[in-house]
Amino acid sequence: MELNEIRVAVLRIEGTNCEDETVHAFKNLGVEAEAVHLKQFYSDTIREEEKRNIRDYTAIVFPGGFSAGDYIRAGAIFSARIKSVLRKSLEEFIENGYPVLGICNGFQVLVELGALPAFDKTISDRPEMALGINNSGRFECRPTFLRVESRNTAFTGSIDRDIVMFPSAHAEGRVIFPDGREEEWLERLKENGQIVFRYVDPGGRYSGYPWNPNGSIYNIAGICNPDGNVLGLMPHPERSFHPYTHCSWTRGRKETGDGELFFRSILEYMMKL
Amino acid sequence: MSVYLKKDLPFEVYEIDILNSDDAQLSRISEDMGLALNTDEMKRIRDYFRAKGRNPTDVELQSLAQAWSEHCCYKSSKYFLKKYLFGINAPQNILVIEEDAGVVEFDENHAYVVALESHNHPSAIEPYGGSATGIGGILRDVVCMGAQPIALVDPLFFGPLDIPFESLPKGVKHPLYLMNGVVAGIRDYGNRVGIPTVAGMIFFDEGYTGNCLVNVGCVGIAKKENIIRSRAGNAGDLFVLTGGRTGRDGIHGVTFASTELDETSEESSRGAVQLGNPIIKEPLIHACLEANEKKLLTGMKDLGGGGLSCVVGEMALSAGYGAEVYLDRVPLKEENLKPWEIWVSESQERMMLTVRPENLEEVLYIFDKWDVPANVIGRVTEDRILKVYYRDHLVYEMDIEFVTKGPEYCRPFKVEKREGEIHGRVPEPVDYLSVMRSIISHPNIASKEFAIRQYDHEVRGNTIIKPLQGIPGNESHGDSAVIKPLADSWKGLAITADVNPYYTKIDPYWGTTAAFDEMCRNLVSVNSIPHSFADCLNFGNPEKPLRLGDFQESVRALGWMARTLGIPCVSGNVSFYNETPYSYVPPTPTLMGIGIVEDVRKAVTMDIKKRGSVLILIGETKEEFGGSVYSKIRGIEMGRVPRSDPVRLKNSMEGLLSLFREFSILSCHDPSEGGIFACLAEMCIGGGIGCDVEVPDEMRKDVFLFSESTTRWIVEVREEDSRDILEFLNKRNVPTRIIGRTGGRELRFNTGTENLSISVKELDELWRSGIVSLMGG
Repeated sequence: MELNEIRVAVLRIEGTNCEDETVHAFKNLGVEAEAVHLKQFYSDTIREEEKRNIRDYTAIVFPGGFSAGDYIRAGAIFSARIKSVLRKSLEEFIENGYPVLGICNGFQVLVELGALPAFDKTISDRPEMALGINNSGRFECRPTFLRVESRNTAFTGSIDRDIVMFPSAHAEGRVIFPDGREEEWLERLKENGQIVFRYVDPGGRYSGYPWNPNGSIYNIAGICNPDGNVLGLMPHPERSFHPYTHCSWTRGRKETGDGELFFRSILEYMMKL
Repeated sequence: MSVYLKKDLPFEVYEIDILNSDDAQLSRISEDMGLALNTDEMKRIRDYFRAKGRNPTDVELQSLAQAWSEHCCYKSSKYFLKKYLFGINAPQNILVIEEDAGVVEFDENHAYVVALESHNHPSAIEPYGGSATGIGGILRDVVCMGAQPIALVDPLFFGPLDIPFESLPKGVKHPLYLMNGVVAGIRDYGNRVGIPTVAGMIFFDEGYTGNCLVNVGCVGIAKKENIIRSRAGNAGDLFVLTGGRTGRDGIHGVTFASTELDETSEESSRGAVQLGNPIIKEPLIHACLEANEKKLLTGMKDLGGGGLSCVVGEMALSAGYGAEVYLDRVPLKEENLKPWEIWVSESQERMMLTVRPENLEEVLYIFDKWDVPANVIGRVTEDRILKVYYRDHLVYEMDIEFVTKGPEYCRPFKVEKREGEIHGRVPEPVDYLSVMRSIISHPNIASKEFAIRQYDHEVRGNTIIKPLQGIPGNESHGDSAVIKPLADSWKGLAITADVNPYYTKIDPYWGTTAAFDEMCRNLVSVNSIPHSFADCLNFGNPEKPLRLGDFQESVRALGWMARTLGIPCVSGNVSFYNETPYSYVPPTPTLMGIGIVEDVRKAVTMDIKKRGSVLILIGETKEEFGGSVYSKIRGIEMGRVPRSDPVRLKNSMEGLLSLFREFSILSCHDPSEGGIFACLAEMCIGGGIGCDVEVPDEMRKDVFLFSESTTRWIVEVREEDSRDILEFLNKRNVPTRIIGRTGGRELRFNTGTENLSISVKELDELWRSGIVSLMGG
């Protein structure tokens, strides 16, 4: 695929709220990206020129926010709507190797949908893990540092740094596995190379709160599917796209933002498709 | 015979017999109906209807009560605001004071939009819902100008967290409960709509125990060509009501906000608190902005205080038109709302548009796409008369001018001088270190991180300078936040909120000058040019001459500062009646300052950057302990409050801003509460580096360390630049002196006789636990 063939859809419904900056992250790298309301895929009330098909795109992003308010369980309503109107085509989309990314609330959506960890099927029938309420019991907005554990994914191939800073801002981000099967789940993830990002302190050591802001098992911040083309992560790479949106950049600045390397990786992956 | 006569209609509308009522009856009617109108105002209404030869309906009378409330028509404050504060001409002004938000030039093609408001009364009754709907309201004020909100600000004021339950007056909620509820309300609403909360303050004082203050501010950005007025377009245009449905929540919100609270307020006024829904708001913002960008709207205004009754009247009046409204077309949350309830309900998440008939279909399509209800409920008419129908029956007919141009008063006021004599004789403290420990952990200085980190301050991905600055994990409070509003420009906006009620309580005039000074200092500290401000003036009952005297002094001071410095007041809000039968709030003129950052890449933060740099104090330190944290710690009232001189401030600001252009400044912070000591402590905490400071011989140690004199900054500079910098500033008549050097793990003050030192680690712990230790874990 050429750069000019790339089309990114950032899906929105009521309450998603990070679509603008996510679209900009792609646009800054010179590719076409747009925020698309889920209704544009299926609703009869949408005019022809605003109707969209998932096949129009080469990458799908579920952005951060509070989709439908997250009043039931984070991501539950958005994923239910996807299941009812888009499941089949999203499955195909994933099986064709196109990247699907969920950031923060988007990660929660992918987990609720069964697209992660997706041990046995592209989209499992039931959620296989959950993102629970932070151990602090509070919303936590803070810089988080992540060790890149795998570069064999559609999202990390060009990150030439061991540690990246993507800020976190969520109330429900603690990775939880089924009771009693935590070890088994961890083993499977490790074996499949599905653990992509783990929380560390600024010195690169795996640590507890606040560096692990939610109490996630094994400091997990982001995981992918076994094929590496579906990724969910709690921290926000679009918020450290520029060196000047990094925390404490006035104390020493990188030439390129950590987030830019993340988004660049996605493009480079697609150009190999 | 009753004065309430049910009209012979298939629904509930009453005629109120005021034509035959005497003064006592008029005042009883006002009370029975919850109108909060005084007898003179009732008589004025009686005269109007006498000329019309009929009695008013309840819809009409309720509507007048909304329009003439203090909250809506500023009847007690307007006189002073006009006299002292309005009309400051500045080239950056585009649309100031007259609308819900101020519009100011950002660059050739863009404007930024500023609004600041109080949500005090509802928050005192129901802190979570009150603060959440405060955020909702301020967002609408910015959106209705056609702007995308980009930042929220929330200055909050509570009673002391450690006040014993037993000492709370009846009906008053504990400050800890109020604070937790308010912070949660801001968090859950602000985070959900996806607008970053980047600045604010939390201030504690006994004066806020009975009346907490919740001020909320918002900044937005718009293309100049997309700025839209809050007025009806043309006769024949349609009124389209969009957003949430209308219910019984928020009935009498403005009349409630225009009276004192008492122990029955909880019971009687719960219904006056609105209910917010950020997940209706979020798409409502998108839909309104999309329709506006497509040039489909002729006017847009949010529904706030007074609901429909105010928005229709104000939109029509400012355009010189009249209106017809059909109340039965308003979508309701529940059946059986009475016509007057529909007309005055303050249900949230609603916006009024005026639309040319030929554009209606397109507008409705856009709102439908976003799943936001939109309904035509009336039209703009040629005459200046407002008519309201319910199921084809006329229930309201009044001249718009009469309704919307409320009364204006110059009530009696009395200025009281409360500032004591300069102390002089208070002995120096025996144990300086213990004073320092108390200062750095004082709730008004200690870390507010517990609240700041619950607010998403980075959503939208444009927060360049965050509210917490320094080494990750060690961050300290910054002076201003910096936002980069446009994708393709490095230009930024600095935002700060300031006031020190300890000062204004003693002297509202000088205290207000100090607040203005601090606002400017905070903007300059991050390397931004102070550009405009909004004010939220929170005071007690204006019918009491002393309270109004305080108000007058504060407004007079604001006008003096703003005019001399050429920084226009572009928007604001007055909140009176922050008073209960046993207490009233300290005069609280909250200021939200906006600065222009020419290039966000040159912004400066307050944390010490490296060892071995030189610390320079800019400005003069005088013995100004009035209202200082030092005076509170020592338990002595100590006279003169810090005051500002706008001419001196202007010169220093210009000096410092040119210094930023010519030299590399590593860090910059301004001494405010807790003086030079607290300023340096915060710089050390953020940078994780200590410093060695020489206390000048000629000054009392406590004056140097703890005085809160205004117009001062401390800058960290490279050793090799320090001489040139002194010369550079001296040439510009800005007083400077080298006070020390960075390095080590301690903050150390060397006096002629002793060394006072505390480790940065200890300062950090004291500072971080100051408030949290009062929150009960």
